[in-house]
Amino acid sequence: MTEILQYVQKEGFFHRLAPLTKILFVITVGIMSIVSTSIPFLAGVIIVLLVIACIAGLHREVIRQFLLIAVMSVILIVITVITLPGGQTLFVIGGIIPITTGGILIGIVMTLRFAVLITAIQLFVLSTQPRDLVHTLERMRVPVDYTLMFVIALRFIPTLQIEGNRIHEAQLARGYNPGSGVGGKIRSIAPVMVPLVSNSLARSNVLGLTIDLRGYRTKIRTPLRERHLMQMDYAVIVVLALAFAVFTYSAWIQLV
Amino acid sequence: MIRLDSVSYAYPHTGKPALTDLSLSIGKGQCVMVTGPSGAGKTTLCLASAGILAHEYGGKKEGTVMIDGRDVKSYKDLSDIASNLGIVFDDPEAQLIFTTVEEEILSALERRGLQVEEIEDRLRAIMELTKLSGLKDRAPHTLSGGQKQRLVLAVTLCLGTGILILDEPTSELDEHGTDGILGILKGLKAQGRTILLVEHKFTRMREIVDTLIVMEDGHIRASGIPDEVILDPAIRKIVLPNFTGIRERTQNAGETVSSEPLIVVKGLTHTYGTDIHALRTIDLTISSGEFIAIVGENGSGKTTLIKHLNGLLKATAGFVSVKGKDTSKTTITELARDVGLVFQNPDHMFFADTVRLEVAFGVDNLKIPDRDEVIDHALMRVRLTHAKDLYPRWLSRGERQRLAIACVLAMQPAVIVLDEPTTGLDGKEAREVMEVLKELQLAGHTVIIVTHSMEIAQNCADRVITMENGSILSDVCTTGERS
Repeated sequence: MTEILQYVQKEGFFHRLAPLTKILFVITVGIMSIVSTSIPFLAGVIIVLLVIACIAGLHREVIRQFLLIAVMSVILIVITVITLPGGQTLFVIGGIIPITTGGILIGIVMTLRFAVLITAIQLFVLSTQPRDLVHTLERMRVPVDYTLMFVIALRFIPTLQIEGNRIHEAQLARGYNPGSGVGGKIRSIAPVMVPLVSNSLARSNVLGLTIDLRGYRTKIRTPLRERHLMQMDYAVIVVLALAFAVFTYSAWIQLV
Repeated sequence: MIRLDSVSYAYPHTGKPALTDLSLSIGKGQCVMVTGPSGAGKTTLCLASAGILAHEYGGKKEGTVMIDGRDVKSYKDLSDIASNLGIVFDDPEAQLIFTTVEEEILSALERRGLQVEEIEDRLRAIMELTKLSGLKDRAPHTLSGGQKQRLVLAVTLCLGTGILILDEPTSELDEHGTDGILGILKGLKAQGRTILLVEHKFTRMREIVDTLIVMEDGHIRASGIPDEVILDPAIRKIVLPNFTGIRERTQNAGETVSSEPLIVVKGLTHTYGTDIHALRTIDLTISSGEFIAIVGENGSGKTTLIKHLNGLLKATAGFVSVKGKDTSKTTITELARDVGLVFQNPDHMFFADTVRLEVAFGVDNLKIPDRDEVIDHALMRVRLTHAKDLYPRWLSRGERQRLAIACVLAMQPAVIVLDEPTTGLDGKEAREVMEVLKELQLAGHTVIIVTHSMEIAQNCADRVITMENGSILSDVCTTGERS
């Protein structure tokens, strides 16, 4: 089973950064990719992120997710091209849907943005222990309920994958054959999703009690094995600030 | 340490009380084991004793619950109660929040207002006690059931409380996993902790139990020194699983066993990924009408083997045929007509609104004629006709297990395979399930069960196959050694 968005135990450069630095990294890269509409810039950011992934020793995990990105990209491009026509019309499908240069360009920009965001978030999640993340967000005054919601959502991805697979097998053993393709996926919703959701809801009750019993909602916490900003963190923050400054300046020049 | 005085409780929107006028007192350092059929109110008793009902649940509450001499209502919240009492629920998966073993334990320790050095010391001690030191960087979903439950216990021990409540901590565990938990509980009892333990495995836990309580329909049916309590034959039936006499009922079933091989497995090898060898060159022939038990520890390859019989897994090398059909060339749907597989957790299959519709699912998938009669007959066989219009998840654990069998039975397969059919059941329910399976054998089905219990295997099956490290260690029938 391929694990999605799970912390990977490694000693890479990204693992050594403090969670706060990595949060700043995700925010900076996120803002730049959302503001920019330049295809070469966005493609450049993806290359930089892949280089960082290689240096951090996370390239295998990051590249594995590219299949998901490829599938989502195709869907994004198709939806954008159909719904946002603009510029020159290249050809018309079935006499109704115009395929335009503008639509294609916006589709490519959206896809690249999506790839940048997914890759940046992945680098962050793969290299940050949830406990460190909880501490950092707590220090940033994010309410603990929201922090735990995020951490628990990540933690339960593999559990739900395993359970979904078991349920699917149990239904196959009952002669169930939903067929392949989109139709099959829709038909499999009730027999697979209903047990999956019912079991998860039953589990959420115990999970809620566990959180309360362990005292996460109390503000008491012994500072233990804290991740403080080190020299490398300051260096990365300076690089991020410079990159952001250059980006803002270029955007401003273009606007003028 | 825990005292319940005339406690009654009914969950919101239900008419039937879950606890009725229940009184109980547990002294310091005592280990009290509570057992009884599913639906008897054991989990509700745990929730009441831990003050959770008082603080977190609605519904109709009566009586008083005291923890450590204080009324539970006088505690500020659950976190306040948790400084006196720790509770372990039966589903370990729902109690693990972080992504490594060490993180999970640390996250609990750092919330107790302790000094850094004390936290590091306690972390080491708890990891040693629960034998988790070698697993500190492992993610929860990669741990075995026993390891997960030990981790949950470790986290609960972080609270450093004198009272521990454990709700069926070993229900999903094999012998080895149960041994691990028992070992820890022995250590805790020796430290003088007070333990309230809900369990079905009385024989295994007997050495640590001071008082045995048997619950039924929300009240205490019997309570006292274990050896005295089990003198009552009716109580004995619930507490001590007894499978004797089941195989003898099938003495004449030998007549139904045909010499014609129904399942042939030749040189079956299965490898997960590139290096996990789950099955190594298995050879096996199963005839029509046999009752077979496959036993072995976790990871010995039992479940992998049975998944090859209905095509859920394909052989890495070797060959499996069912009724002459090569399983590698037959679809799972087609094989489902010949081999029905009941998984360990029945909740993995239920999605319909009524018991009847749940059984109908498989029947409709295979387009079996005389649909209504087939469904009614299957429900009758597992003694669930009375529950046909109920929502499947409202049934007790024992009834849900029998419903899972009915779902597969209605598809009329020649072979019925069951993975751990008695998990989480008390002695009486477990016997009922095994009796149903024997009746199915007498009706001409071939029955194969995977079990951790040698007692079930030896008392119910005609043939016992023991697996170890992906190979068949022994294959014994009542008349002697087979291979």
